[in-house]
Amino acid sequence: MFEPVEIQNILVATMAGALVVMFGALYALGFAMGKLNKQPGMLRAAYGAYAALSVSVFVLAYTLNLNGIWWGVTLTMLIGYLLAPQAIWKLSVKTHEFSD
Amino acid sequence: MKLGVLDSSNLTGGQQLAVKYYTVAVVLFGAQILFGLFAGLQFLAPEFGYNVLDFSVNRMVHVNAMIVWMLYGFIGAIYWLVEEEAGTELVGLKLGNLAFWVLTAAVTVVVLVYLFVQTGPGEIESIWFINEGREYIEAPRWADIGIVVCLLVFFYNVAATFMKGKWSGISGVLVFDLVAVAGLYLAGMFYTTNVSVEQYWWWWVIHLWVEATWEVLIGCIMAWGLIKTLGASRKIVTTWLYIEVALMLGAGILGLGHHYFWIGTPEYWFTVGGFFSALEPVPLVAMVVHAVYDSGVHRFKNTNHPALAWLIAHAFGNFFGAGVFGFMHTLPQVNLYTHGTQWSSSHGHFAFFGAYATINIAMFYIALQKWRGNVYMSAGLADNGWKWKWALGLLNMGVVGMTMALLVSGYEQAFVERALGGSTWAAYFAAQNSVWFIQGMLWREIFGLMTAAGFGLLVWDLVTIGRTETRSMLIPAEAAKAAA
Repeated sequence: MFEPVEIQNILVATMAGALVVMFGALYALGFAMGKLNKQPGMLRAAYGAYAALSVSVFVLAYTLNLNGIWWGVTLTMLIGYLLAPQAIWKLSVKTHEFSD
Repeated sequence: MKLGVLDSSNLTGGQQLAVKYYTVAVVLFGAQILFGLFAGLQFLAPEFGYNVLDFSVNRMVHVNAMIVWMLYGFIGAIYWLVEEEAGTELVGLKLGNLAFWVLTAAVTVVVLVYLFVQTGPGEIESIWFINEGREYIEAPRWADIGIVVCLLVFFYNVAATFMKGKWSGISGVLVFDLVAVAGLYLAGMFYTTNVSVEQYWWWWVIHLWVEATWEVLIGCIMAWGLIKTLGASRKIVTTWLYIEVALMLGAGILGLGHHYFWIGTPEYWFTVGGFFSALEPVPLVAMVVHAVYDSGVHRFKNTNHPALAWLIAHAFGNFFGAGVFGFMHTLPQVNLYTHGTQWSSSHGHFAFFGAYATINIAMFYIALQKWRGNVYMSAGLADNGWKWKWALGLLNMGVVGMTMALLVSGYEQAFVERALGGSTWAAYFAAQNSVWFIQGMLWREIFGLMTAAGFGLLVWDLVTIGRTETRSMLIPAEAAKAAA
């Protein structure tokens, strides 16, 4: 069903898990600030954070031996973290327009 | 209306009832910290309290006090806002007061039984009168029934008040959520002899309360709090409440699967739990976007600095405690080694404090502001507001410090006891006696004392804040309307 993490990889795997969420937040923060203040540099930094998130996801997938059906979890993370902030941004703009 | 004086005539009937709930909540918060310190000390000095106040009892009171003070805080918060939200007086105020005294008397008796009777023979009588033995919800069955009855009274009061007055987006979500809060508790009340079945239903209460219904409940309280402290648009806040509920429930309900990895449930729970656990932090991350957008638009102008500071602490605490520290060890490949170790405890300390304690404290400050006659509580407070700032700092640093210390101990435990030792008794004791584990426990106790100092300061501030203040938060026209 799944292959447990190797003993020597426990620390790397858990840190990678934490970094996925941290870089996800940095990407979301940079994306929102870049859009709000119209700063292309900030947007580039946000995508840099997303690149770091992607590396963290692959490290996590490698150390946790995510293969077979578990690739779905890897893809879910990559797609979810990329698209959710963009969707929330669109919703933020629309809900404020709707209110104004 | 006299500024700076604690005067109950400033409050509506529901708000007076809320203040009673808040008072008990603060007492139980203190009990949680005190018994947590005792239990933490027993890791360092196992002979402390042996056969008088054993670790099992201290830990039980510690975690039960936490659950109950948070419930008291939530019930108080809802009684606080219900009349304003419905635009009418609370229906069944006398019944609500009666339920408060019954619930508080029951909680007192349960705690006294925990402390002085502690355990009983493995018979059905023990389940009914001493201890049900389910972690976090150990209350004996008579008290369980009492809790459900009191929650039903609470539900009736809230729903009937909205039915008599007016409904809103917040109230609609709130009432539906209260049905789930009371209903899910029933899943933890019946007894089976099959431990897998027992655990299966027990997690419905623990996970679905904490990661679904409580999140929605605080979503409602937060929505109302943002309208009150930031003057946020009701339409926007309500729209976002719906979005948050959809996101939270979408990932949170089946995230339940991460508790079904090791209790004897079918193997498909590995995939279901893993997949939805990977999704669970996404809403928290996505909400960063909305927070940035709103702070950019509204510039955080507010009428109650301590309350807003605690609401911000809630946003960060929820993200780090639940999101980061949860996802670190939620997939089964690593959870195999970490579940039930101090790693879980590390996540639990940060997540419960960050997600729930913070928002209750924010509501205490909102209540105090009105209780003291809508006193001014923004910039330029007496003494520069040092007490609330230090309480905020000490409590947050104390909890974060405990979290990190427990993480060190948890890592050692996962490594030595589980991964290397294969979860044998010998490996268990090897981990408990390893240097890193003990050092982590020592630092946990030190940061626990810091948390206790923060709590002391918080209580002092709650009792004194605004006492010498002569400014009103209301503009003159609002003040005249309130006086009339």
